[in-house]
Amino acid sequence: MSAQTLAEKLISKNHMGINIASVTIGVGILTFPRTLAKATGAFDGWISVILSGLIAWIIGWMLAKLAARFPRQTFFEYTSIIASKPVGYVLTALVCVYTMMFVSFEIRAIGNISKQYLFYNTPVEMITLSFLLIVQYAVAGSRIAMLRLNLLFLPVVFVVIAIVLLFTTQLVEIENVRPFFSSDWRSLLKGTEGVGLSYSGFEIILFYTMLMRNPQDGPRAIALGLAIPVLLYLTIYMFVIGVFSAEVAKNLTYPTIELAKEVEIPGGFFERVESIFFTIWIMTIFNTSAMWLDITIINLTSMFTRITKIVWILILSPIVYFIAMLPQNLVDFFSFADRLTYSGFIIVYLIPIILLLMAKMRGVKGHE
Amino acid sequence: MLRRFLTTRRKKKTSSPFIKKALQQQSPPVLLSTRLQENMETIKTELGAPHDLLIRSLLIGNTRHMCAIVAIDGLVNSDMLHDQVLSHIQLMISMAGKSVPDEPQTILGLLYEEVLSVSELNKSSNLIDIIDCVLSGDIALFVDGASEVIIIDSKGWKTRATEEPVSEGVVRGPRDGFTENIRDNTVRIRRRVKDKNLRFDGSYVGVRSKTALIIAYIDSIVDPEMLNEVKRRIATIDIDEVEESGFVEQWIEDDFLSPFPQIHNTERPDKVAAALFQGRVAILLDGTPMVLILPITIGLLLHSPEDYYDRWIAGTLARLLRYLAAFLAVFSPAFYIALVTFHPGLIPSDLAFSIAATRDGVPFPAFVESLMMVTTMELLQEAGLRLPKPIGQTVGIVGGLVIGDAAVSAGIVSPVMVIVVALTAIASFAIPSYPLAIAFRMLRFLAMFAAAIFGIYGVVLTFIMIMIHLTNLTSIGYPYLAPFTPQMPQDWKDLILRAPITFLRKRPGSLHPKDETRTRTGDST
Repeated sequence: MSAQTLAEKLISKNHMGINIASVTIGVGILTFPRTLAKATGAFDGWISVILSGLIAWIIGWMLAKLAARFPRQTFFEYTSIIASKPVGYVLTALVCVYTMMFVSFEIRAIGNISKQYLFYNTPVEMITLSFLLIVQYAVAGSRIAMLRLNLLFLPVVFVVIAIVLLFTTQLVEIENVRPFFSSDWRSLLKGTEGVGLSYSGFEIILFYTMLMRNPQDGPRAIALGLAIPVLLYLTIYMFVIGVFSAEVAKNLTYPTIELAKEVEIPGGFFERVESIFFTIWIMTIFNTSAMWLDITIINLTSMFTRITKIVWILILSPIVYFIAMLPQNLVDFFSFADRLTYSGFIIVYLIPIILLLMAKMRGVKGHE
Repeated sequence: MLRRFLTTRRKKKTSSPFIKKALQQQSPPVLLSTRLQENMETIKTELGAPHDLLIRSLLIGNTRHMCAIVAIDGLVNSDMLHDQVLSHIQLMISMAGKSVPDEPQTILGLLYEEVLSVSELNKSSNLIDIIDCVLSGDIALFVDGASEVIIIDSKGWKTRATEEPVSEGVVRGPRDGFTENIRDNTVRIRRRVKDKNLRFDGSYVGVRSKTALIIAYIDSIVDPEMLNEVKRRIATIDIDEVEESGFVEQWIEDDFLSPFPQIHNTERPDKVAAALFQGRVAILLDGTPMVLILPITIGLLLHSPEDYYDRWIAGTLARLLRYLAAFLAVFSPAFYIALVTFHPGLIPSDLAFSIAATRDGVPFPAFVESLMMVTTMELLQEAGLRLPKPIGQTVGIVGGLVIGDAAVSAGIVSPVMVIVVALTAIASFAIPSYPLAIAFRMLRFLAMFAAAIFGIYGVVLTFIMIMIHLTNLTSIGYPYLAPFTPQMPQDWKDLILRAPITFLRKRPGSLHPKDETRTRTGDST
């Protein structure tokens, strides 16, 4: 039906970078200043942001190398080649569970934050359900179209962030920022770990490299895709501490949204900017969730080739929704998130790195 | 006339009975006889001797042979019929010293080669073809005893004079528009595109209506893959009658569930010429001034030819305004509902109080209020379209009174609602493409429902949903949102901005033109 050439259905290096940035910038960015302020207790958290960015980049570089070894092959296919078929099944299934839980986390986060900033009476269940339906609709369409949405929404999100930062510049007090370099390395490392949770997402390189026009560009895409969040996190952390001081930031649930709350647009055209800020933010959380659900489905269809995408969406959605509804309160919710990301450390970082080493040692390589 | 139908698209499955029926209708063999009288009888029975059938038998010059002219009165150019055909046949006595031969077939050859001073002549011996030609405005010349018939091209019926396109007015730009006559329309394109590579591929659609269809493109620019796809889709058209280009459009479009138009229609020749130069394809259909342009993008639908005729600053500002209009046309009532119902805190307090004060006494929730007003507006718009101009104004006055004043004084709606509805209406009139404006009107209701349920959150979800749909949508396989996504920064000079004309050195890359540059020096900027 389509007159498009194959080349247009593949994604470029920059597009992949934007995908990584979009999937990383999600809920984490709204909460990380709290974790960081709690760990370091000072402005020095910026060192942690850079440090964890570097670690993420090294891991991401290795993941990209692994995926680039096997161009046009799915995660399941190359794990099967490297470490036998049964291991491939187990690993892919684990990844599916992990990515699916991530969708649950994102949609529940939407529900929680909307409840806090936008609604008074609407139940979380309905907010979450409507969001899940939209994510389903996106994933049901073509994959390249879903990825193109990142290109559309990420700039909008940047514009909003830029506006918020512009209007909070006058509220930054230099007193809040001082003293510099007061934290010891132990707390900095703790902060690094905390921010590291907010960087999770770049592992999509493992699954989307097969769509890249030139899979060897993967490492560069990782560099671009992580540079954007690192810079964004740095700026936001500086502003949060500058405006609130570390002491206050510790006790704010969503410090980044609270930052938007401080904005006063001259002329009083809008009030309560944080609602608008979060409304726009829904777009990037949408991108993150759509990509996670899509990755779950890529992996499932690569294992069970006979079941179609639509069937998987229909099977997965109730499970995703059910898991999303499990946490009873915010504390539950955040501990769920932490456990999820820690298990991700093993499933999508550690194991693929081991796989890369195995592939290197055994000398297995995919073919174009 | 048989159309192959190659696609597996669902709606085509229903089409095979049409072909069978048509075949049965044409099946009794009608053969051309050498006897003139017999032929005339066959034609009369085939056509049912209609009132406008013109049959004139006469002697050829000073020979003893009869001939007959068959035509449809009104379809042929009668001056030509008299001056170039009838009088020449009657005066065919002897030419250049040669005596007139006696053999019918030789006479026919002589008529064909020497006597008739008409530019386009053909011979045919297939009676069905001959009847088709007569029905489309040609003259058939039968010679008694000959086994062939001369077809004289003499189409010349009365057409309306060209007028300024009603649906697409411009302040600056050419005033001519297409007409219902396909030949006039090709002339209008040809006069603007004097490139030797301009192609008009003709065919017919409609098993019964046999409407002429022309695919126009510039061969050295257009992407051959696109052209093949267009031709393939047109070949699948299998329908009895095609009255308007809308039939073709709906048959070949990519997604019939989408509210968005995937093929553009215009009655401006300058727009079609510009599209051809960009590497697009145009489809002209006989009997309608609406010419189809494809493939299109949403950007193209929000552009007007005037953007290029005015200086670039004016063009750019007009475009910015239209993108804003598109946004307002879909979302302004939804925002009103969301703000009043769910988030009065978002509005500055003073304004919130004054809105609340004006809404005091309005018995309906904001959603019902908006629904009533927006529906009234749709009604007025629909009513105004169909009515003759003098009454149309009355509708405007009545509508203005009802919407503007009476409804407010009666306490049914609040004054702010009136402002919102007026803003929405004006915004949707600012969209240059009428089908796109219709799509936005539909989506407006969707956004209003979402806002009524989920407030501003619902509005954003609607926005995301529309975007998902648009990224998935294609026009003849080419992405609808190009060059926004897939991103083609080289095309952004002519998207929301309209860069100075000297900067626009490349054709839209999303169309994969064979010849990429518009200037001879190439892209030197």
